Amino acid sequence: MRKSYFSKWVVQRVTAIFLIPLSFWFIYHCVSFQKFKYFELQLFFQSYVNSFLFLVMMIFMLIHSKLGLETILQDYISSSSLKKIFKRMINFITFFSLFLVAVAIIKINMV
Amino acid sequence: MTDNRPLSPHLSIHKKVLTSIFSIFHRITGMGLSIGSIFLALWISLLALGQNYFFIFEAISAGLFFKIILFLWSIGVFYHLFNGMRYLYWTYGLGMDLKNVYTSGYVVLFLTLLSTLSVWFLLI
Repeated sequence: MRKSYFSKWVVQRVTAIFLIPLSFWFIYHCVSFQKFKYFELQLFFQSYVNSFLFLVMMIFMLIHSKLGLETILQDYISSSSLKKIFKRMINFITFFSLFLVAVAIIKINMV
Repeated sequence: MTDNRPLSPHLSIHKKVLTSIFSIFHRITGMGLSIGSIFLALWISLLALGQNYFFIFEAISAGLFFKIILFLWSIGVFYHLFNGMRYLYWTYGLGMDLKNVYTSGYVVLFLTLLSTLSVWFLLI
């Protein structure tokens, strides 16, 4: 049990370190996304580099979110049954979002 | 595990000091950004589904409500990013004396404000 909490603590920080440059990269592009139309955005994600960086950012972001939300649950929710329900919800939303992103990136690059 | 164990951290009994407010906001922005990441997944899905579906996003993003949410999201992103760097720095046991903790807190606030305003000046 203790070991698993330690590895979560490490993963939380490792994902955070990777998210620093990735977030700056994404925010920088978000500014130009405002002026982009549908086809320009498609073109942006058809670049393998952009697709790869976005995918990695989303994977790290969702893992980081999942671990952070679980920590908050652990701290503020005392009912173990309620905690279990929330944990399942977080897991489901995390994996469903990951699935959506992966499928979307594959589909955009297959066009 | 009993259901009535005291909650930790004991938010209600602490005197509100700047450091605790920073920590609370880190968690609040973290929760907000988690919701934001789901919307990012939906956004890229709409883009992948085609122009007819992406039109849904374009219609929503044209409204003022979206702009307000986007503004709050940008504050949340920058705050969480800069304060997160501060926490990573602490992980190595650095900058943890009281003076540095307060100074770095003000630096986080300054950088959040500066970055948010810079991005919005570029957007408008």
